[in-house]
Amino acid sequence: MLFSRRIMLGLAIAGTLASALTFPALAEGPTEIDLFFPVPVDGKLARDMGTLIKEFNETHPAIKATAVYTGSYDDTLIKTRASIKAGKPPAAVIMSANFLLDMQIENELTNLDPLIAADGTTKEQFLGQFFPALQGNAVINRSVYGVPFHNSTPLLYINADKAKEAGLDPSKPPQTWAELTDWAKKLTKREGDKVTQWGIAIPCAYDYCGWMMETLTMTNGGRYYNEEFGGEVYYDTPSMLGALTWWNDLVTKHKVHPPGATPGPAVSTSFISGNAAMMMLSTGSLTYVRDNAKFAYKVAFIPRNVRNAVPIGGASLIVPAGQEADKQKAAWTLIKWMTSPEKSGWWSRATGYFAPNMAAYKTPDMVEFLNKNPDAKTAVEQLEVAKPWFATYKTVPVRKTLEDEVMLVLNGKKQPKEALVAAQKAADETLKPYNAETSLKLP
Amino acid sequence: MRSISRRDEMSFAEPAALPVAASAPPRLHILNRFSHRFKTSLPAYLLLLPSLVFLALFTYGAMGRVLVDALYQRATPRAPVRFVGLDNIAAVLADPAFTGAVVNNLVYAVGTAIPSIGLALLFALALSRTNALTSALRAALFLPVLIPMVAASALFLFIFLPNVGLLDYYIGRFLPVLPNWLGDSDIALYAIMVITIWKNAGYYMLFFLAGLQAVPEDVMEAAHLDGAGPYQRLRHIILPELKPTFLFVTVIATLNAVTQVDHVFVMTKGGPSNATNLVLFYIYQRSSTTTSARPRQRHC
Repeated sequence: MLFSRRIMLGLAIAGTLASALTFPALAEGPTEIDLFFPVPVDGKLARDMGTLIKEFNETHPAIKATAVYTGSYDDTLIKTRASIKAGKPPAAVIMSANFLLDMQIENELTNLDPLIAADGTTKEQFLGQFFPALQGNAVINRSVYGVPFHNSTPLLYINADKAKEAGLDPSKPPQTWAELTDWAKKLTKREGDKVTQWGIAIPCAYDYCGWMMETLTMTNGGRYYNEEFGGEVYYDTPSMLGALTWWNDLVTKHKVHPPGATPGPAVSTSFISGNAAMMMLSTGSLTYVRDNAKFAYKVAFIPRNVRNAVPIGGASLIVPAGQEADKQKAAWTLIKWMTSPEKSGWWSRATGYFAPNMAAYKTPDMVEFLNKNPDAKTAVEQLEVAKPWFATYKTVPVRKTLEDEVMLVLNGKKQPKEALVAAQKAADETLKPYNAETSLKLP
Repeated sequence: MRSISRRDEMSFAEPAALPVAASAPPRLHILNRFSHRFKTSLPAYLLLLPSLVFLALFTYGAMGRVLVDALYQRATPRAPVRFVGLDNIAAVLADPAFTGAVVNNLVYAVGTAIPSIGLALLFALALSRTNALTSALRAALFLPVLIPMVAASALFLFIFLPNVGLLDYYIGRFLPVLPNWLGDSDIALYAIMVITIWKNAGYYMLFFLAGLQAVPEDVMEAAHLDGAGPYQRLRHIILPELKPTFLFVTVIATLNAVTQVDHVFVMTKGGPSNATNLVLFYIYQRSSTTTSARPRQRHC
C-alpha cells in the first residue's frame, strides 16, 4: 500500500515536470500581458475596465491581457516605476498624460514611432485621429510616446434648480469671473455666520489642486509652465497671482467657497447633496453626476478673466521601456484596439471622459448618446480652447510645491503673493539638476 | 503563584541552561567546557537556524544594504551610482518636509499613546468583572480593532466630510463655524489622531484586562479589610501590579505610531500642506515622487 502510494506520488511529480517542460514547446500559449490602470475619478471605472478587457481577450485569442488596478494617477506612476526598476514592467499602462515628459526624460518610455511605421502609417496620419489639443502631451521631441485614451477638461457644474431658486437663469451660465462671483454670492445661503449652502466649491488635493491652479491661471491669460521645455514653471507671475488671489477672495472675502483644502470626491458629494450649488470638476465626473444628481444640473465652460482656456486632463496609453518584443507587439494591438472609434466611444459613454478619437463622435451610438445627453457635448466643444497639461522634469514634486502653498493660502495661513514666491523657489530648486544638464550646460 | 510564572519566563529566555550543563564539574578544561556547552546547545541552534537564515536574508541583510545605499546616489534610474558620503542624509535633514514629519510624528505618538492607554485602562477597570453586560460592552469596545485600518479610514472619510458628513450633521449644530476636518492644516492631524485612538483603545484594553487578572485577590481583600478606599487600592495595589502591562502597551503604542500610516495614505496623503505627514509616509512619498533621493548640486 505504502509502496504503491510512493510510486503514484513519484509518477505524479514526474508527470508535472514533464508537462511543464514540454508544454511550452508543444503549444504556444497566448502572449500574456499586463495593463496597469488607475481610477482617478468617481464612478465604477474598475468594473468598466474589466468589461473592456474581457471583450478584448475574447476577440484576440492570441493575447491574454490582464487589467491590474493601480490606484490613483500618482500611485500608478509609482507602481510602474517600481516594476520597471524590478525588471518586470507591464506591457501597457494608462498613464496620466502629464507624466509622459518626466518618464521620457528618465528613459522609462518606449518610442512608439517604429510601431506606427510597422503598421504602414505615418505619424501624421496616426496622430490625425485625435483631437489636436491632446497631441501636446503625447508627442515629445517629435516622437510619439503616448496614445490618448481618455481625456478631460475642467467644467463648471451648476445646480440648475438652486440657480432658478436664486433668480438666476441656468440657460445663461456665468462666462466671466465677475459673473461667477456674482452667481456664487447669490447662491450662498447663511444662517447667521454659518453657511448652509456654498455658492461654489473648487477641489484642492494633491493632483487636483495643481490642475485647478493651471485652469484658473490659464483663464487669467497665464501658462503655468513652459510647454516647450521641462525645466521651467511660472508660479510667481501676475497671471497666477491673480488666479490664486481670486480663489482666496472667494473663500475669505466673499465667503462663498468652503475654507481649507477639499478633495475631489468631497466636492462632488457636496454638489450631489445640494450643499454646494456650483463646482469646478473634471468632465470625468460627468457620468457620476448624471447618475446621482436628483436635481436638474447644467455644465458650462470654465469662466474667464482674460481668455477662455483650459488644460486637458486624463490619460494616455504608454508602453514602458524594457519590454520584450512580442509583448510590445501584443501591447500595441491592445492599445490600438482600446483607442479605436468604437471602443473609445464606449469608454467615453461609460465614464464621462470625452473620446480622444475624433471618429468616435461619428459612430451612430455616440450621435444618439449626445442627442440624449447634450451636457456631454460641452466638454467636446471646450476642446477648441484646450491646451496641454503641465508637464515638467519631476512633474509630481514640482506640482506639490505649488499645491502645498495653495493649501496654506486656502487655510488662511499665507497671503497669495508670499505663497507663490515660496512655491517658485521650491520648484526652481527641484528643477535645478535638469537645468544644469540642459539649459545651463554651456559649451 | 506569581513567582512560579516568573521562573517560567526565565527558563524561556535561556534555553541553553539545561540541567546537564549546570551539573557539569566546575573545573574542566576551558576548551573542553566550551565544546561541551556547544554540544548541549547544538540542538537549540539547529532549531533556530532556519529563522536565523531568514532573518539574516530579509531583515539584517536588507538593513545593512540600506545603510550602504544611503552613501550612494544616482541622478536618474539608469545612471551609474556614485559615492556621495553623507550628502543624502544632509539633504534629508535640510528638507523642511522631513523635519515637519518628525515633529508631526512626535505629536502624533504622544497624542495617540497617552489618550488611548488612559481610555484602555479606564475601560479595563470598569469592565474587569465578567458578566453578560460587561462581556457585551467589551465586545463593542473591541470591535474597532477588527476593522482593517484602510476600511476604517474610508468610513471616517465620509464621517469627516465637511458640511455633509456624519460628524458635521450632528456636531455641526452646536458649532458656530463648521470645520473642514481633513482640509484644515490646524485640525487634520488631530482628526487623524482621533481615529487612531478609537481604533487602538479597545486593543490595549485587552492587555489591561489580562493584567488585572494577575492582581492577587488576597492582597486586595486584605487592603479592603484594612479599610483602603477604591482610590488607595488603585494607587497602591492595582497600578504597581500593572507596571509590566503599562510598559508593554507603551511600547506597542509607540510602535503603532511609527508604523501605521494607512489612514494618512487613504485620507490625506500627508496634506494639506504636509500637516499630516508622518515619517513613514514621508519615506514612501520620497521614494515615489522622486526616483532618487532629493538631488543635490554636486558634479564631481
